[in-house]
Amino acid sequence: MSSCRKESEVSEMVNPNSRTCKTYTQQFEAVWNGMSQGYVFWGRDTVDWDARYEQFKPVFEEFDARPSNKPVSEAEYNAAYQGLFEGLLDHHLYGMFTVPRAQYEAIVRPGKNDYEHNMDPYSERREELRVLQQRLDYVQGSFCSYDPEDYGVFSIPGMYFALIKLKTGKNIAYFRFTNFYLSNVHEYYSVISSGESVQEPLRKFYGPRYWEGISSEGSFANDESVVGLIIDLRGNGGGSTADLIPFIGSLSQSSTVVGYTRVKDGFGRLDYSPWSEYRVGCPRLHLKSDKPIVVLADINSVSCAELATMLIKNLPNGTFIGERTYGAVGALWPDSQHQHDYFYSGCFGDYDYYQYGRDMYRYKDIYPYYVYTSTYHMVDCDYKDIEGVGVQPDIEVRFSRASLMGDHKDPQMNRAVDYLRKVCIWDQAN
Amino acid sequence: MNKRLFLLLLLVAAFVPMWAQEVEAPMQLDEPTVERNRHWSVGVTGGIDRNYHIINMSYMNEYSYSPFAEGSSYGVQLSFSPLKWLTLRVDGVMLDKNYYRDHVVGGTTMSLPDTTYNKYLNVPVVLMLNVGKTVRLHAFGGGYWGRWLESRRKGITQGMNGLVSYDETVDFDTPESQVRDNRTDVGLVWGGGLSGVVKKRIEIGVEARWYYGLYDIQQDYMAHLNPRYNTTLVFQGGISYWF
Repeated sequence: MSSCRKESEVSEMVNPNSRTCKTYTQQFEAVWNGMSQGYVFWGRDTVDWDARYEQFKPVFEEFDARPSNKPVSEAEYNAAYQGLFEGLLDHHLYGMFTVPRAQYEAIVRPGKNDYEHNMDPYSERREELRVLQQRLDYVQGSFCSYDPEDYGVFSIPGMYFALIKLKTGKNIAYFRFTNFYLSNVHEYYSVISSGESVQEPLRKFYGPRYWEGISSEGSFANDESVVGLIIDLRGNGGGSTADLIPFIGSLSQSSTVVGYTRVKDGFGRLDYSPWSEYRVGCPRLHLKSDKPIVVLADINSVSCAELATMLIKNLPNGTFIGERTYGAVGALWPDSQHQHDYFYSGCFGDYDYYQYGRDMYRYKDIYPYYVYTSTYHMVDCDYKDIEGVGVQPDIEVRFSRASLMGDHKDPQMNRAVDYLRKVCIWDQAN
Repeated sequence: MNKRLFLLLLLVAAFVPMWAQEVEAPMQLDEPTVERNRHWSVGVTGGIDRNYHIINMSYMNEYSYSPFAEGSSYGVQLSFSPLKWLTLRVDGVMLDKNYYRDHVVGGTTMSLPDTTYNKYLNVPVVLMLNVGKTVRLHAFGGGYWGRWLESRRKGITQGMNGLVSYDETVDFDTPESQVRDNRTDVGLVWGGGLSGVVKKRIEIGVEARWYYGLYDIQQDYMAHLNPRYNTTLVFQGGISYWF
């Protein structure tokens, strides 16, 4: 009787989290299966993953069939994995693959966007960020810069605060967050969630004036002289979503819905959990009134910075000025080492290889790999997909490298100040 | 082809006596019902069911599926008995094919349970063999066609704010569902039971039946698809009226 039913093939599939691959083909099969089963964007991705299997399996089989005097070259190996992952939607996706005793590895990062000034958000934008920081010196007002110890690897660390004086005598409070890496924030997460004070960790990592600037009673942001806020997230490479509660959640007077998420939930590519609301809480110390807030973001605002942009954009008093963000909003489960063990989705492979690289790799006879990919599929409050698309600005002002680097003028910043000035004048007139 | 031919011959054999009825002596309507040949009956059925969701989870060994024992089955039946011992029966049945899945997150005590409530319309066609007079035993076998009408999921998932409860109706009109879900249900059905005449023309009965799905509940939308089947055990009672 059971012969009338189709046989399951999953028992023959390689567990993508195992360390048992001893050929090119086994490595390919494990990687292909890990993506097939655990990749969270199959509901939207247009890549035909089955066609990729048919296309690339013979390539890896041919690698295995090579005689020892004709080894697989770095270019061939790299081209095979680049081709396998080409065009996938996940903008967090990062894959690394190598073989025993090889002096090379293949690295894939298929996320792309259409802005010509987009650079690799993880390594090449430091110069622009430093100019952005220098540009702040040209903003009239009281400028307080905190430059804590450079522990970040993705961008210039820290946050910056300034007061921009208007002719009316009022001020615009300016905050710049270059990342959301409050590195041991998880240690304090329960404290943050419970609404208790998080001053100590914030002081430790961002300096004592931070708390004066935005959240405490009688702070600058809550001062009557401050009529609007600019939150600058340009070039912010992201970080931990736990940071959003004290830094961005405190801009509201209650918790705010950012969007909806779902996770993979089974072997099938379209096996998903239902959507669940993603809400950022509001800490006990927060902005006391709904002053107009402008968030500045650009194509190099990535991941957590995009969630922060979405949050502020969702506020009734929030406006997004700048250009579309990078489009990597699918968050990851914090523990990427055990993510696949927990959920059979998201990151998979050999975490030691990811952490220490091929030189430190202690298994000399297996073919290691690691794929860093999103755990959550996120959509906005209207269930529109943002992955690969980015958060769209309310007022688009394109980044001008020439203007910034040549004239030290910042059109996006100027537009934000103009916008707030007009809104504030309108508010006062009414 | 041979199976189809055999079924066709059975149907012809069942209806030939009905055509010949006109030349036989008129039926005595007040004779014991179960003694009659060539009669029709209609009835209603209702009961409880237990669905077994068949799936191979392979290395996902922290997932476990089990039947969820709150299903029900109810429907109408139409049958024709060309012979005292043989009945052709068609049912229209609404039945639940629910199942419970638990996912104990690896290395933790965190549990992500999910109960799926599925409503199906099944139309089984069976040939039934009867023995006995006032109290009869019957056994039957056949096939069924069905349609997956509704699905609701209730459970807990991992959201970005932590564990989140959900209770939602599956929308079969979404593009994902139209690619993924196979709403046509075809399979085998068999079982047996006991019935008795309580009054002229009225018979009540109880029976157990298995619905053995032959169609994957998913469409063939990806390579190495892990098939999923439903097997449903129903205990039901019924009452029928004989013409």
